[in-house]
Amino acid sequence: MDLRDVKLRARALLAPRQAERDLRDELAFHVDREARKLIDEGMAPATARARAHARFGSVPLVADECRDQRGTAFVDDALRDLRCAVRSFAHAPLASATVVATIAIGLGVVAVLFTFLNTFLFRTDRVPDVEQFYAVERLQPGTDGQSSLTRADFESLRRDTSVFTDAYAAVSGIDLRVDGRAMAVTLVTASFFDLVRVRPSMGRALTAADDAPNGGNPVIVLSDKGWHRRFDRDPDVIGRTVLVGGVPFTVVGVMPEGFRGLVVGAPDFWAPLAQLGAFRPNQRGRESSAVVEIAGRLKPGVSGDSARAQLRAWSANAPASTAERRAAAAATIDVLPHRGTVPRPMEAVMLFAPLFIAFGLILLIGCANVANLLLARGVARQREIGIRLSIGASRGRIVRQLMTESLLLALVAAAGGYVVSRLALTGAVVWVVGMMPADIWDVSLNVPAADWRVALFLVAAAVASTALFALLPALQATRIDPVRTLRGELVRDARPGRARNALIGVQVFASALLLIGASIFLRSGMASSQYDQGFRTADTVMIELVNEPTRTAMLQAIAADAAITQYAAVRPGMLDTLPGLATIGQGKTPLRCKFVSGDYFGVMGVPMLRGRTFTPAERDGAPVVIVSESTARALWPNGNAIGETFRLEPDRPSEGQPEDQPAFSSHLVTVIGVSRDVTGSRFTGNKPGVFMPTSLDAPDTAAMVRIAGDPDLARRTLIEHFIKIDPNLGRIVTMRTVARLEKVFLTIAFSIAVALGALALLLTVSGLFSVLSYLVAQRTKEIGLRMALGAPSRAVTRLVLAQTARPVLYGLVAGTVLAAALATVLLSTPFGAFISPIVHVADPVAYLASVVIIVAACVAAAALPATRAVRLDPMRALREE
Amino acid sequence: MAAAPDLLPGTLDMLILRTLQKDTLHGWMISERIQQISGDVLQITQGSLYPALHRLEHRGWIEAEWAVSELGRRAKFYRLTASGRRQLAVETRAWARMAAAIGRVMKLA
Repeated sequence: MDLRDVKLRARALLAPRQAERDLRDELAFHVDREARKLIDEGMAPATARARAHARFGSVPLVADECRDQRGTAFVDDALRDLRCAVRSFAHAPLASATVVATIAIGLGVVAVLFTFLNTFLFRTDRVPDVEQFYAVERLQPGTDGQSSLTRADFESLRRDTSVFTDAYAAVSGIDLRVDGRAMAVTLVTASFFDLVRVRPSMGRALTAADDAPNGGNPVIVLSDKGWHRRFDRDPDVIGRTVLVGGVPFTVVGVMPEGFRGLVVGAPDFWAPLAQLGAFRPNQRGRESSAVVEIAGRLKPGVSGDSARAQLRAWSANAPASTAERRAAAAATIDVLPHRGTVPRPMEAVMLFAPLFIAFGLILLIGCANVANLLLARGVARQREIGIRLSIGASRGRIVRQLMTESLLLALVAAAGGYVVSRLALTGAVVWVVGMMPADIWDVSLNVPAADWRVALFLVAAAVASTALFALLPALQATRIDPVRTLRGELVRDARPGRARNALIGVQVFASALLLIGASIFLRSGMASSQYDQGFRTADTVMIELVNEPTRTAMLQAIAADAAITQYAAVRPGMLDTLPGLATIGQGKTPLRCKFVSGDYFGVMGVPMLRGRTFTPAERDGAPVVIVSESTARALWPNGNAIGETFRLEPDRPSEGQPEDQPAFSSHLVTVIGVSRDVTGSRFTGNKPGVFMPTSLDAPDTAAMVRIAGDPDLARRTLIEHFIKIDPNLGRIVTMRTVARLEKVFLTIAFSIAVALGALALLLTVSGLFSVLSYLVAQRTKEIGLRMALGAPSRAVTRLVLAQTARPVLYGLVAGTVLAAALATVLLSTPFGAFISPIVHVADPVAYLASVVIIVAACVAAAALPATRAVRLDPMRALREE
Repeated sequence: MAAAPDLLPGTLDMLILRTLQKDTLHGWMISERIQQISGDVLQITQGSLYPALHRLEHRGWIEAEWAVSELGRRAKFYRLTASGRRQLAVETRAWARMAAAIGRVMKLA
């Protein structure tokens, strides 16, 4: 490329008009000169001109080839296409607006999902080299995936292995009340802050002295969130104290904004692990046996596999009670890339894939709509395209121009989609936060930020959907015979019939899938709103009594409270139960056990069907039980259960039990009563089969109280009241809230499904409507002729309906079959087992209802065009042609 | 729409360069000249001349200038550059070699 070439190209780019004029003049001069020569030879001027043109060939084509020589053709063409595109939008503003709006909705819906995925998959941590972090887990045999490494294990691992450059131990997820506000704390070893290599924005981080075993300092380091929530970003916060469990803790540092530790939700503050006793009084004095999370940076050159091998060897040699346990422990120790509680990318993708398909179906329906619209426009533009083809423009060139037009629309739609996604996200977050019962958490959901990745995704999705909706119409529109077009014989329909039917089929298929999903969710939601937990939720409140030293004072306060009419002991938590095994004769039956006091049945409104409840004398360890109705029926089908005895034993060794669950040793028990079934949570569906006696004096029991008056008001009063006795309050939760919370999650899931289904249906109906209207308009002549020849209006209606009947049918069958297949696959997965108690995947009514809705919607979409066809005045229709 | 089939592929550039060896001509005169000298044997679709002219211009073998034509109208005149002259020599030699080779084959084969 020499200087001259550069100069020519620059001119073509910088002064395109001048270059174009020169080119046009040059070619025109040639033709004129040739004509002049022919005239001079005696030819008539008109003939001469025609001959000159014939000798020259197609002027636009030659001009195109000349432009190609510049090497700037691509930019050039794109610019010209762009100008053409803008002009063609101005010609058909309504159609363009429809395209933009439809694609914007589709893109917006997908962008909402991607924004969520983005925060999981690509969350930006303030932790440098976060990928070097590996977590150690030792799965407890017999439990479902609970790690069992203790602080003692951590010290040993740090001392005796050389896998990590350094490691830290943490206990996270402790919720407590500090000065009456719910706060989340993570306890960490002092090594944590060195490892994450993030400096505090104020004050200092934790030091080894703070975390000295059997001592240390009661200090805390605030997260940015905690600083904001508790101290309102007070710049003089360092040195202030907060009371945790009556112990004053001093604020020594504040971490910078954006630092969350290694989990999604930042705690409000971090405290030394040695201070565990202050946060969990029932673990006071046995801090070294506390179960902790362990993670660290792998030494350079140590791979995940070699770390695993080394830690297995270490685990097998670690002090443990029996050889069997040691072997089990070694086998189940694992080293995994640590990403906190964030799903690993693969898991995230797996988690989001079905959602992306569901949300993507909306985009697909939108694309099918637009493709149909463009097919129709392509026919309308046949003359323009035909002329361009006949004067020598290549088909590829025209396709490129049509695609440029569509891409431009799609990019505008991407901008619209961004707005749609922001609005939808903000709306959804406000809606969800509004539904969340505020008394469980201080819910603060942030609208996920849209960064450059979201923008990039939107552009990519816009390009992809352009290929989806514009390529077929562009190819179809250019598949015409230029000669016939020029002669004015506009081919009415350049065979887009098949393409159009395929698109209708795709739309119906996609909306059938979504609609079946939505109906399944809707029906499940309705069923579950009828759910009976089997106990009173309206006026009961659970009070956790976590602090043993203040238990007596708390109980006295409960007894003295006028609003509390009745109270009972329940253990270990709200709806938790402990699995046990009943041995009757030879066989063993798994049962869920719940520890309650005799008053429980009265407070919770669970009627006794036979026998009696526990007396106050029957407390921990008393060999009496109450069984539930269904358990009694299962164990003694013919008897009345009262007076029967059986052996009850834990289904796992007691040494493996987490410390916050009550001791449970095998003993022979006598049935003294039969109660009505308590179904419990609709998620876990745990049905206690056996009630065992306990009392409020036992450690770790909570009080279940019946409130006179508004339980939410009572709860607030209780908190104010109790906090004076014990600033480190446990949870005080109205059962109404617990029930509501369960419902909230269902409502969210159901609402999303229903919204998607409704949107799909709406788009499909509007798409069908516009296609059918167009077809009727297009076949005006034919319909007019048929009617003029005496065709009854019934036949015309049938004609219009028949146009779509087949693709609708195909789409419906394909969608239903695929939905059924997906349901079958889903049910066979662990996830299916989890949701099957709530979501009834195989629900024939949902399928049937969806099919009926779609058929009805399609008929409705066809009705208006059909009516219009029937009302056609045959004479006018014929004349207009 | 390339050159008519009776024009050997790749020879159009050479013919243009040769035509411009002595004179400064505009496009129409180039096509006229090629047609006349070849005794109407070489029929080129006249339009196909222009992409070639523009290509040669971009390669720097010819340069163009707007001037008043024999009819008193503005026209674009092309002239051979120094490097165009060298290119013509190269192509002429290659052509001669090729023609000779083909001639030998036709005689002896």
